[in-house]
Amino acid sequence: MASSRDDFIIAIRSAFLKKSTKQKFSLLTLVSISIFIIILSSLDFKAVKYLKIGINEIVYRSTFFVSVPENFIKNSYIRIYQYSNFYKDYENKVSELEKFKAENISSEIIKSENKELKELIEDFTLTQNKILAKVIVDHKSPFLKTIIINKGSADNIKIGTNVYDKSYLVGRVIEVNYKSSRVLLLSDLNSNVPISIIPGDIQAIIIGNGDNSGKIKYTKDNLYETIENQSIAYTSGTGSIFKSGIPVGKIKILNQDVYINFYSDFTQLKYVFAEVEPEIKKSPFEDPETEITDQSEKVSLNNTEKIKINLLNEEIEILNDSNSKLIEENKTLNSKTNKLNQQILDLENKVRTQAKKIDQNNIDQKELEFLKLNLIYSSKCQKTVFKKGFKVGTQEYKDCIYRKGKQLND
Amino acid sequence: MIKFKKNNYLYKIYTWLPIIILYLSVLNEFDFNYLNIEYFSFNFPLILIFYFSLKAYLNFDYLLVFFAGLINDTVIGLPLGLSSLSYMIVCIFASYLRNITIRPNLIKDWFYFLFVISLINSINYSVLFIFFSYDLDIMFYIVNNLFTFLLYIPLNFIFKNYYKAVDD
Repeated sequence: MASSRDDFIIAIRSAFLKKSTKQKFSLLTLVSISIFIIILSSLDFKAVKYLKIGINEIVYRSTFFVSVPENFIKNSYIRIYQYSNFYKDYENKVSELEKFKAENISSEIIKSENKELKELIEDFTLTQNKILAKVIVDHKSPFLKTIIINKGSADNIKIGTNVYDKSYLVGRVIEVNYKSSRVLLLSDLNSNVPISIIPGDIQAIIIGNGDNSGKIKYTKDNLYETIENQSIAYTSGTGSIFKSGIPVGKIKILNQDVYINFYSDFTQLKYVFAEVEPEIKKSPFEDPETEITDQSEKVSLNNTEKIKINLLNEEIEILNDSNSKLIEENKTLNSKTNKLNQQILDLENKVRTQAKKIDQNNIDQKELEFLKLNLIYSSKCQKTVFKKGFKVGTQEYKDCIYRKGKQLND
Repeated sequence: MIKFKKNNYLYKIYTWLPIIILYLSVLNEFDFNYLNIEYFSFNFPLILIFYFSLKAYLNFDYLLVFFAGLINDTVIGLPLGLSSLSYMIVCIFASYLRNITIRPNLIKDWFYFLFVISLINSINYSVLFIFFSYDLDIMFYIVNNLFTFLLYIPLNFIFKNYYKAVDD
């Protein structure tokens, strides 16, 4: 009994303490260091924080480079797939583009109206302070849905910064390093987003379910029934974590549970927009160095901003194109209208001429009838020496002729 | 069977292959742990570490495994040190098994491995849930545990062939 216990202790000691030929540290030392690091990171020490930021910077970049072959294979597959569906996609895109062009104009109007209304209620207004960021690591963890972007505190990104895919909400920043940050996606189990659902203006909170969708939670029980399938959800702005009025997704009701399908596909994120707070610039009178800094800032317009400007320019080009097309259409319609107006005038003239002719014809007909009756009844109506009648050519004479003719017809 | 001249650079790289694969698996975006398939995932590093610790492989340095754990934590976003602790626990248990085993048996190793990964996943879940207030899906851990256990045998076969090639 005692020897087996000794064996056990020897084995344990050997496992923990014995260093093999090439081992520099015993396992006990490494376990202690691990526990020490965990405790320090849970206590949020400044030194550990900086160490973590340093490791993050190196590891994220390394991960990006190590993932290059994998991403190359993945992208090649996607490209091949896209080429195989190229024509079909093209046709769909053309029809969609036409639709969007029309919708774009109305959405611009709605946007400006929305902005005005938001300003009226002193809510967050739509901002243009978005910087483009590249997704450098997308680790598809089932319980930690996060991505890492190549923008950090150097680009004015802070914890809580909202992140978008086009204009759809993707998540918020939870960890900031100098040149990279970690974004918690909406689909994460730890993500809570206050939303409004329309129609109905129902307030609720969505929680990520670890997949690429979310689940509606924390709304009044009696309101669950009023939520309609395919309703639209957008951020309500409650709690000031997310800005209000950002589209989030569409509602899907499944077995009495209410889910939300996010507009953005989180598995396909390549570039995202981070909404940074604008830097408040002091007036040159307050600080003489500001002018110099401004100039250097202007000079150092980085690539990201250039890309953003290019994107905006492209958007403007598209809008200009659609605008010029609309102007052309308008011109064509105007010329058509003019032609039609001319046609109407011509036809009116024709009608007038024909009406005149008809009138003339009617007069002629009447004259003819009178002359016919005159031949027959002139002797009866004419005034002579022996007979009382009317003088030829007078209205009484005419009436007499017609009367006689009518009597005979009757 | 692949044969190398022992002073060859290729042979040297080949002998470091387990550590290289370990680092690639923790650094790469693609992870067997998170395959995006419902009810299928497995922890590849745990199998690799357990096997090579059990065999007391020459170039399998615990310090490098420890750093691999730190990198894994950084990439996945777990609290720093947690994966290192998990990997070190695997090394300890594998080392203990190696010390008490006279005649190695694959089935016994296999079930011992099940015990080790269950323990590690329980520790991970508890630490994340209790100390860091993470909202976790326990089903993921159960599925991950099961498939890590099941895939130990086929991966063991591959590693065995590699080990044999290096030993020769």
